[in-house]
Amino acid sequence: MLFWILVAILTAAVAAVLLLPLMRAAEPLPSRHSHDIEVYRDQLGELARDRETGLIGSEEAELARAEIARRMLAASAADQAVAESTPKRLLSNRLAQAFIFLCLPAVGLCLYLTTGSPGVPAQPLAARLADPGDDVNILIAKAENHLALNPQDGAGWDLLAPIYMRHGRLDDAVAAYDRAIRLLGPTPARMGGYAEALVAQAGGLVTAEAQNALQKALALDPDDPRSAFYLALGLKQEGKHADALAAFRKLAARSPADAPWLSLVNQHIAELAAAPAGPGPAAPGNPAPGDITAAKEMNAGDRQAMIRGMVDSLASRLKEDPANLEGWMRLVRSYVVLDQRDRAKDALDDGLRAFPATGAQGKQLLALARELGIDAGGEAE
Amino acid sequence: MIIELGHYALVLALATAIIQGVLPVLGVRRGDPSLMGLAANAALVCFLLVAFSFAVLTFAYVTSDFSVKNVWENSHSLKPLIYKITGVWGNHEGSMLLWLLILVFFSAMVALFGRNLPETLKANVLAVQAWIATAFALFVLLTSNPFARLVPAPGEGRDLNPVLQDIGLAIHPPLLYLGYVGFSVCFSFAVAALIEGRIDAAWARWVRPWTLAAWTFLTAGIAMGSYWAYYELGWGGWWFWDPVENASFMPWLAGTALLHSALVMEKREALKIWTVLLAIMTFSLSLLGTFLVRSGVLTSVHAFATDPTRGVFILAILVVFIGGAFSLFAFRASHLKAGGIFAPVSREGALVVNNLILTTATATVLTGTLYPLVLEALTGDKISVGAPFFNMTFGLLMLPLIAVVPFGPLLAWKRGDLAGAAQRLFAAAALGLLAAAICYYAVNGGPVLAPFGLGLGVYLILGALTDLVLRSGLGKVAAGVAWRRLSGLPRSAFGTALAHIGLGITLIGIVTVTAFETETVVEMKAGAVVDVGRYSLRFDGMREARGPNYTEDAGHFTISRGGVEVSEIWSSKRLYSARRMPTTEAGIRTFGLSQLYVSLGDDMADGGIVVRIWWKPLILCIWGGALVMMAGGVVSLSDRRLRVGAPARARKALAQDHDGFRSDRPKIINVIDSKG
Repeated sequence: MLFWILVAILTAAVAAVLLLPLMRAAEPLPSRHSHDIEVYRDQLGELARDRETGLIGSEEAELARAEIARRMLAASAADQAVAESTPKRLLSNRLAQAFIFLCLPAVGLCLYLTTGSPGVPAQPLAARLADPGDDVNILIAKAENHLALNPQDGAGWDLLAPIYMRHGRLDDAVAAYDRAIRLLGPTPARMGGYAEALVAQAGGLVTAEAQNALQKALALDPDDPRSAFYLALGLKQEGKHADALAAFRKLAARSPADAPWLSLVNQHIAELAAAPAGPGPAAPGNPAPGDITAAKEMNAGDRQAMIRGMVDSLASRLKEDPANLEGWMRLVRSYVVLDQRDRAKDALDDGLRAFPATGAQGKQLLALARELGIDAGGEAE
Repeated sequence: MIIELGHYALVLALATAIIQGVLPVLGVRRGDPSLMGLAANAALVCFLLVAFSFAVLTFAYVTSDFSVKNVWENSHSLKPLIYKITGVWGNHEGSMLLWLLILVFFSAMVALFGRNLPETLKANVLAVQAWIATAFALFVLLTSNPFARLVPAPGEGRDLNPVLQDIGLAIHPPLLYLGYVGFSVCFSFAVAALIEGRIDAAWARWVRPWTLAAWTFLTAGIAMGSYWAYYELGWGGWWFWDPVENASFMPWLAGTALLHSALVMEKREALKIWTVLLAIMTFSLSLLGTFLVRSGVLTSVHAFATDPTRGVFILAILVVFIGGAFSLFAFRASHLKAGGIFAPVSREGALVVNNLILTTATATVLTGTLYPLVLEALTGDKISVGAPFFNMTFGLLMLPLIAVVPFGPLLAWKRGDLAGAAQRLFAAAALGLLAAAICYYAVNGGPVLAPFGLGLGVYLILGALTDLVLRSGLGKVAAGVAWRRLSGLPRSAFGTALAHIGLGITLIGIVTVTAFETETVVEMKAGAVVDVGRYSLRFDGMREARGPNYTEDAGHFTISRGGVEVSEIWSSKRLYSARRMPTTEAGIRTFGLSQLYVSLGDDMADGGIVVRIWWKPLILCIWGGALVMMAGGVVSLSDRRLRVGAPARARKALAQDHDGFRSDRPKIINVIDSKG
């Protein structure tokens, strides 16, 4: 309310200042020509000074003086002519007043109401910090400030990590979990949360890193349903449908009947049971047929994330079992497609470690690298 | 609530500008003095409203009110106070608000100090100013509103672009805008005069202080921007012919031409049509610069954010104002009376040569700036027009101009004596050549053109001094008489001399740096020593440090000369935490007018670091010259003879105002009077 009163006062004050000249009785103006005459008089003086200092020749000065004098005469004559015609007294004044009265509030309010946010108070940071109330952003900022000064406070990171997760700040969540685990040691909740953040960060894909964390969580607490769920999801994403089905079924059997995750688990079980239990994929890391259809329905961002996840799992598989030339070649090519040339180079180097550049298979790898325009580092040279 | 009041004040300012743009024009048409008188009140109110709104935004920045989107996007609670304040215009929305603030500030100045202007002219000028203000207020409110809010408010801001976290941001944009926008007054005067259909010597007299003020600010703004880029970007260059730099340079060139042609018009009532055209062109180039920088057509540190609707909006403003002004000009030009007559060899003639060259130079820069954009739009080819083009075209154009500059002040009005002037300049030219010759011998085998350029610079300075010496009659009359004559010279004569001397100093700086600077790029490990010119630099190692909102790795260098330690340099690389953005902070040490410039590059695998070291001889002359030019502008502006008396009624009012000051009024009041 106070705001609107101030708005009204401001508008009224502006209107008053604008109306003031319209209220006053208008004095007759000195004519335009009288101003000109002042300038010409000034010019004559300047000309005289220029003449004294020799800035203009005496003959030219005389001519210039005549020029200015002619202009002066013309102006005086015009002045007389104007002076005789009296200025008309006008009633347009009323219209002008009405225009001001209308324009200020009309333009002011219309535009302000469309662009402004009248109800929102000013929120200086100091005041918010002093009295945070239930302002989550401020609580987070406070915690961040505290942790910036005390980065070794594991409990703080542990507290902040799930809050980041809820606010969709995934990178921060991963980093916070990582710190909490390093400072306080792993617990099933921390490892599971970390893995969940990693999965969310990868756009829903259970990456090798996430799987690693999940396995650690399960080692600490074999009954942790969240870790079991994501691991099963990872198996499904890898195309190991039979294993995934078994894992989901095991999770469903262990869960209490009213567990909130049960419906999701059952959905996965139904999908997996319906899919043909065909033979496993020929080469490791090949996308399952289901994944390919899924990829077709995904939007570009999701698809990119899915491809990334598959490439990651291929990479981790090759680390365990490097004797797979086809796998290495696919990995190098995938990284180039994903425009991760540094990684492509690293993969090439790793591949060359398994298949030395002197051998026929190594040469094959090198030929591919040349074709893709990446050069092998260290060992190859 | 205070934030919303600031927002409302801005909207109200728009409404006031609309009134100010409509009623006074009607008043002039109908001869109603009260409607004309409204213009001054409206201009003042409009300024107060925008100033309040700007103050509110600044308050939001200072108190880190992240419920304001603009603050959240460009500030950080840990930023030092000075950068919180400068951050207000370190972004698109805020800088447009500053633009508007300065525009209405100039309107208010015209309203306050315009007592010696005819009411009709003043009303029209203020109305045209109001049209521009209306357009920009609409632009700010509709496409770049700095008062947009965020609910709920974030807890911490995203910080300002680290490159902009520098004292340069406090100085460069306000000065540049004072220059850019200052030319709007000349534009408004031109349009107002065209509307009235009367343009005469008096008009030029009234416009002159505004042109001078705008030109002075723009000179300072450009020089400051150049120095800022030099020390902050870490490339060691001081001018890049970057489109954004060109955008500010073109109004300067056109403004310089305007300054000189207005002189001819004022004294001799010649070049009227041309001067009006120049006034329109100068501000059009300012607008074009704003469009190029703000629309995101160009990507650079100035572009802040790009948004096509903004580009289209500014383009519309551009078309309406430039197109409108030129149409009006085309419509009225034929009705204007041509002015005085002069011989080709005369001061007028020299100033015409100045104008021809300056406008050609402007056109050259314009071509070089726009050609890549047009080509890309038409064919999709990306090309860049760089220094070689500008050096060839612009540089060559400047040579004859510089040769002619000292002649101007020496020639008489109407009909001059070229041989006489040449004779009088003989000493200056000879000494210039001598300087060139000495320089050539000193660096025998060095760049061939450099001594010539240096000679030109010396000739410029001496030529300007020659004018003063001749006028005082030094050497011909007794020293006392000469001193009296010298001190009796009008200040504008000193202003002219200073501006021309400044140009000479800048030229010397440019030539010396271009020809004699050395660049050394080496990989250094702690303890390594490098010789640069007469100095040798020892790298002592790196140190980690932490600032309020950044961390830095600073390298320490010891400078010694002849085995004696003379100084030290810190050069660092910073990482700003909020944006994860690195910057280089070059280490610069000044020796006289020369500088040693050290910038850190990448770390090497073996623990070394790439270091770039420049020796920049006489580089401070470049900006020092600009400062001298600026001083010339200020001195000229303070010339009491610029003051034009107001006619009887207004004079009476003045006398009452300043009762008791009449006989010995302080200079400043004269200046103020002269402005209006």
